[in-house]
Amino acid sequence: MNLAKRIYTWVDVRIGAGALVEKELTGYLLPTNINVWYSMGSILLFIFAMQVVTGMLLLIYYVPDADKAFKSVTFIMNEVPFGWLIRMCHAVGSNMMVLILLFHMLSVLFMGSYKSPREMNWLSGFILLNLVMGISLTGYLLPWSQLSFWATTVATNSVGAVPVVGPYLVEFLRGGKLVGPPTLGRFFALHVAVIPITIAALVGAHIFFLQRTGVSTPPFGLQETTNRWLGDRYRYESHPGGIPFFPHYALQDLTSIAVYCALFLGVVFFDPYIFFPATAFVPADPFQTPAHIKPEWYFLPNYQTLKLFPSEFLGIAVQGAAMTFLALLPFIDRGQEKHPLKRPLFLACAIGGIVLYIALMIWGHYS
Amino acid sequence: MDARSRRKFLGLCLGGLLAGAGGAVLYPLIRYLAPRRDGSARRTVTFPAAEVPEGAAKFFEYNGKTAVVIRQKNGALVALSAVCTHLGCVVQWQKEKEEFLCPCHAGRFSAAGQVLGGPPPKPLETIPVTAANGTITVG
Ligand code: HEM
Ligand code: FES
Repeated sequence: MNLAKRIYTWVDVRIGAGALVEKELTGYLLPTNINVWYSMGSILLFIFAMQVVTGMLLLIYYVPDADKAFKSVTFIMNEVPFGWLIRMCHAVGSNMMVLILLFHMLSVLFMGSYKSPREMNWLSGFILLNLVMGISLTGYLLPWSQLSFWATTVATNSVGAVPVVGPYLVEFLRGGKLVGPPTLGRFFALHVAVIPITIAALVGAHIFFLQRTGVSTPPFGLQETTNRWLGDRYRYESHPGGIPFFPHYALQDLTSIAVYCALFLGVVFFDPYIFFPATAFVPADPFQTPAHIKPEWYFLPNYQTLKLFPSEFLGIAVQGAAMTFLALLPFIDRGQEKHPLKRPLFLACAIGGIVLYIALMIWGHYS
Repeated sequence: MDARSRRKFLGLCLGGLLAGAGGAVLYPLIRYLAPRRDGSARRTVTFPAAEVPEGAAKFFEYNGKTAVVIRQKNGALVALSAVCTHLGCVVQWQKEKEEFLCPCHAGRFSAAGQVLGGPPPKPLETIPVTAANGTITVG
């Protein structure tokens, strides 16, 4: 104990660790009416760390070669001790990451936290959403199963609807006219190097913006719920008299992570194949398309939208428009009010959008 | 119960839980990373005698390590571990001199594996070898 204290003092007098703790942890005050939804970001950080660690572990046995990839994944599942556990954590974790990311976005939407001056926070988060979908899509190809192969064929093909450059873009993405060994090479590089580094950098930016702006005040349990920032000069949103991040909110973060782990491990141990249709266990065969090739659940609405429109171009354009609208939301919705019940137009659109998304997902699943 | 002993008790429970969770993470991790053993540890290796003509050496894998069989000019058959006893490089057979040279730090061994010079501290390990009906059996 005494030794630990002496080491701490030694470090403290050199780099001012105590002052840093005081400023960023115990003296970092949060709004008193803060709620559990503010811990989604911590869960996401935890999941990303898990994906990085399990991903690096998979790299030990995984072979990114079209002739060997499927065998190497089967080897991980059946031969390597606890290989199944590492792989299931990675595959289930990727789905969980998208799920929690959606929760995080919804909470930001309903509490109006995307409003000025937090536009940059929203934009960086929006890019992160796209990167996570990208890393999932590229990872999906790596096991080189029938599912991998044909889901990637369909997903890359839809880019062909872009006017003029579409067909070239598809070929560029695939590294050839069709999905094949060159596709595996580029998707592997994207999945394990390019996108993870970009995600890490954007997470850094996302948290930096949060630090500079200060945590938003949730609109619940208050009389006054409007946004009072005038946009004339920089202002840090402080919360005098608020609750300290450490230990109070850190405990909430840990609790949320523990609840998440229970859910996550529940799926890993009791129903890991929930995300694996039968075609995931058959090696890729470029000459035989299996029946019922469907993307992962979070791409089902996109899949169904593409099917609904008579022209592929329209299907892509509508989705592009919806995504652009979402990205630019803080610039479109400039109202001062943050409480969802006092924003009827927003509430109607948001609930309508969620219902539409889920309906398309279910329709896509059964169609 | 007084608050202090209660706090201590809860702290102990939490510590125990954390230790258990840590173990549950570490055990699979170590098993996952541990080198794999293919069950048949004591195997013999055989090959046609024609593969080792007079004066020649044949390198092969034996029990997960590199080994060598040589047939000396006088016809004697010798099997040795080819792993240098200095720092583990694989020794090379010098046909004319009938001795082994380790290229890493110029260690020299006789055809029987005895140290002739250089830094190696010990002779090369010998491995039993027999030849019958045109087949060489090592191990
Ligand atoms: C540095 C970070 C990462 C590394 C090194 C990595 C590595 C790998 C490897 C080697 C595979 C192939 C083995 C397998 O199929 O199970 C894989 C699959 C996959 N990865 Fe990652 N990964 C990383 C991060 C992520 C992230 C952040 C996500 C999603 C949020 C993700 C989603 C996926 C998916 C969906 C699969 C296919 C799962 C399957 O079908 O088994 N990965 N990853
Ligand atoms: S390793 Fe052989 S002489 Fe040093």
